[in-house]
Amino acid sequence: MNASELRALQTPLILLLIIVALGAGLIYQLDQTLVTTKRELSLQQNQMREARTRLQKSGDEKDIIVRYLPSYQYLQRVGFVGDEQRLNWLEGLRLSNLQTQLFGVQYSIGSQQPYAFASELEPGQLALQQSVMKLNFQLLHEGDLMNFLAALGKQGAGFFSVNQCRVERLGTGGSIRFQPNLRVDCDIAWITLRPSSPGDKKS
Amino acid sequence: MADKLLFSVSASQVSSARWLGGRLGTSTVFENSEAGFAAFKEHLAQEPNLPAHMIVDAVEEDYRFESLPHSFGSDRGEMIARKLKQHYRNTQYCNARIQGRDPGKRRDDRYLFCALTNPELINGWLQEIIERKLPVAGIFLLPTVSAQLIEKLKLKQTNLLVVSIHGAGLRLSFFRDQQLRISRLARIDGSASQAIKNYAEEISNTRLYLHALRVMTLDEHLSVLIVDRNDSLKDLEQTIGRDNPNIECRRLGRQEIISSLGIAAPALDSSSDALYLHLLGPRPPDNNLAPANVTLGYRQHQIRRGIHALTAVTVFAAATWCAITLYQIFDARIDTESAKRQTVDLQRQYQEATLQFPAAPTTAENLRRAVEISQKIGATTRTPEVTMGLVSQALDSHPQIVMKSFAWKYGTTEVEGGREGNQAPAAAVPVVPLPNAPAGAKRKESALVEGEVRPFRGDYRAAIDAINRFAETLAQQPNVAEVRVAKLPLNISPNLTLAGNTTDSREQAGKAEFTIILVMKPAA
Repeated sequence: MNASELRALQTPLILLLIIVALGAGLIYQLDQTLVTTKRELSLQQNQMREARTRLQKSGDEKDIIVRYLPSYQYLQRVGFVGDEQRLNWLEGLRLSNLQTQLFGVQYSIGSQQPYAFASELEPGQLALQQSVMKLNFQLLHEGDLMNFLAALGKQGAGFFSVNQCRVERLGTGGSIRFQPNLRVDCDIAWITLRPSSPGDKKS
Repeated sequence: MADKLLFSVSASQVSSARWLGGRLGTSTVFENSEAGFAAFKEHLAQEPNLPAHMIVDAVEEDYRFESLPHSFGSDRGEMIARKLKQHYRNTQYCNARIQGRDPGKRRDDRYLFCALTNPELINGWLQEIIERKLPVAGIFLLPTVSAQLIEKLKLKQTNLLVVSIHGAGLRLSFFRDQQLRISRLARIDGSASQAIKNYAEEISNTRLYLHALRVMTLDEHLSVLIVDRNDSLKDLEQTIGRDNPNIECRRLGRQEIISSLGIAAPALDSSSDALYLHLLGPRPPDNNLAPANVTLGYRQHQIRRGIHALTAVTVFAAATWCAITLYQIFDARIDTESAKRQTVDLQRQYQEATLQFPAAPTTAENLRRAVEISQKIGATTRTPEVTMGLVSQALDSHPQIVMKSFAWKYGTTEVEGGREGNQAPAAAVPVVPLPNAPAGAKRKESALVEGEVRPFRGDYRAAIDAINRFAETLAQQPNVAEVRVAKLPLNISPNLTLAGNTTDSREQAGKAEFTIILVMKPAA
């Protein structure tokens, strides 16, 4: 078929090409719309399932709230849940020092960081943070260390975990006067917890 | 069956009819004259743009039956083209069709060559059709069309002579084994009083002619089919039967033509060639005489139709696809709306249910998890109390051991320090081998005890024994995983130089210091 013969078929060929192009474009556009619509449907169905599950479990949810709310409120009060309560920690240190009749406690608190062992606790949407406090104080005898840590725990200043301690004997020359015989360096981690997203909070 | 225009051209007239919806319309006949030609031109102007098929009924025709070497493809095409050129130099309206193979050893192909040897007969008419831009599909000799008659009537005679009256004269077509072998048009005046007798004589002569051509012998049985479209040849059947006892004669009368071939009576009566136009309508024969330049318009017409069909199919397929997709979109949107409504309803029900809940600062899940985490922290935190207690008990049973410092650590790695001076071989008192701590390993308690043996008067053996006994006492505790003496008063390793004096003076004996590392078993 030569050029002139092809020219005679130009119009139907152009029409065919236009139809094919239009058809392909339309099909592509509709397919894209279908994909988007199906995605929206899937999303909406997931939301519906979640809403249904949530409704079905609303009874359990109420039981959980009733059961755990007092403990949670206690944790809020002691400063475990929510923002860091450094003033409470220092007040706790001061009171513990008085109660155990130590010779004063020197402290330094590092910046807040994610809790190193959070994965052991499966926190989910909750964020666990820690601030390491370095303590340096002197003791009359070894038993005072445990008395001091126990007293600090009972102050209700927050949750802490003892990372490490070092006790060294001071050279007192064997005197039996009321004076420090041991020097202690301890690292303790004050642990706090808070929901990661403000949207979690119920209205 | 596609609609088409049918023409039959003879020396005396042209018949034109439409083939519409599988039926032949009434023919219009034009005389071969200037007036007829002008009328034909006007007639064409009113015809729809349909493919044109043309029958030629002329004396100036030629049929050759020839055997050629068996060949394929382009070889065959070249050979046939060469033969056609050789046989028919003066006409472009020629054709060759294979009709089987010779029974001989060579198995040659048998061809029927046919041609219209006087193109002038149709050129004028054809030119008008082409100028009218009607696509010319084919030009066929009338006998090749009449082969369809045999097929339709299911005639099985070996030697069959089909006889019919046309405007140009008496047409005699011979078929051997239902395949056209030869045909001739005898110009006999049908209006003469002796017409029937003349026809009968022509048939007898044709038999002799066939014998002369060695197409059949006189001994062979011959069947004659008289196509009598207007019942004017009733006597001819009797005449042939009387004059030629060895000829089987059958007349196909008007009524039988109408009933057995399905042609309408008005259409049949409208032209002497109407029957052949009717036979041409459904399926043209293969012997198309039209050269490529004549059928160019038809090829374009076919391609255009193909493109239009493809366009229609594309439109249909696209429309179907789009309709299905639109339905799916519509369906999915209805489902989405339904899911939205249900979600809103479920959320409303949930909100109503939560009104019964005690006021809580966060979700129930967060409440539960926060409390559980606090409990886990309480369960997993450690203080030096247990380890200090173990060391204190061991010191009570070993009064010669004096502790100078105590370090404790709760982590994934052991407590550091105590690795200087007279280091003892590693794992001096192993209790349980401790596996290497991988990343994410459990935390464990470890302690480092630094002390000395008092009193020490230079008896290293006794001092080391005392330290080892102290370490063994620690290792016997159930919570202890491992006890290592990290440093001894004297390093007795053969890899190192050892120097000192053996005086008994307490002041000169130095100190028997040691370091012990204690590792507790990890919390369960």
